[in-house]
Amino acid sequence: MGNTLRAIGAAALTAVLSLTLAGCGQKGPPWALKDISGLMPPLKFTLTDANTGRTVHAADFRGHLVLLYFGYTHCPDVCPTTLSRLSRAVASLGPRASDARILFVSVDPARDTLADLKRYAPAFGPEVVGLRGTQDALRALTKRYRVTYGYGKPDSDGNYEVSHSAAVYIFDRQGKARLLARPGDKAAAIGKDLARLDADR
Amino acid sequence: MTSMPTTRSLLTALALLLTAAFTAPGPSQANTERHEHAVGFSVNDARLRWLPGDLPLAGYFALTNTGQRTARLVGAASPAFARVMLHRSTHRGGVAHMEHVEGVDIAPGKTLHFAPGGYHLMLMKRRHRLNPGDSVPVTLRFADGRELSATFRVVGAGAQ
Repeated sequence: MGNTLRAIGAAALTAVLSLTLAGCGQKGPPWALKDISGLMPPLKFTLTDANTGRTVHAADFRGHLVLLYFGYTHCPDVCPTTLSRLSRAVASLGPRASDARILFVSVDPARDTLADLKRYAPAFGPEVVGLRGTQDALRALTKRYRVTYGYGKPDSDGNYEVSHSAAVYIFDRQGKARLLARPGDKAAAIGKDLARLDADR
Repeated sequence: MTSMPTTRSLLTALALLLTAAFTAPGPSQANTERHEHAVGFSVNDARLRWLPGDLPLAGYFALTNTGQRTARLVGAASPAFARVMLHRSTHRGGVAHMEHVEGVDIAPGKTLHFAPGGYHLMLMKRRHRLNPGDSVPVTLRFADGRELSATFRVVGAGAQ
């Protein structure tokens, strides 16, 4: 009797687990990064592309895999470390690297001029695009993805720290939010998931 | 057998070099123990990550305390920069912060890593143009007044 009950229990648990997994929209093997499909709205923004000086919209990046990251140029450690990691992940796509764009959105538009961003972004790779917006445009975009940022008190030289969400949002070619890369995720893991997204046409 | 003295003399030379890298401590630090407990350090993989313009740069290194007492790193300076600070990046609740650090202790035999995403030197206001491939002298300062000079390589923005 005990064994039968236990077997039924195990079967029920398996059924619940498979339902849970199916409910997450899990297809195929799990992703290396956090799957955020259906949890975040599609990519939408209006910002200025530092490279061209022109206004760009999310729709301009349809057809590309998009890695969205928020930071500031006076950030010598975390931002370059992240951009370098993302750039290596994209480079791992080989000839398909040009399918991806790394969007670096400044959360410090008061200090980051378009000229600063134009020099800064490409230093990490040809696929890195520096974007700048008004505080209103920035607020709309960061609110959409629940990204937080804040400014520290300026020191005697007027330097201040900017705290900002560390995560990177990854969108597919249709602009749908698919994956979240966090500081602990290595370039190889990000590259592996990007290759899978890239193959999914 | 002949290789043994060679190895030993190399090690001695290395130890002398490391000792020579220290400037003499100020008069207040002069004490009789200094020679008996010649405290040493070894610095490895010292590098600055290049960024364009006059943006602040991060400096990274591995510093081993080969001495017998805890050493406290309290500052740094470089002729190539107007200001150098000890900083630390932290992550709290998914948010990246950067904070100024007053000092970091290194226990005897331990290695302190200034590495991406954690402790780093923040070097501000370049005094001259810098490019990847350049070498920059940096002096690390300790709480007891000792100073250690090291050469930092300037590496590209995309370096790890």
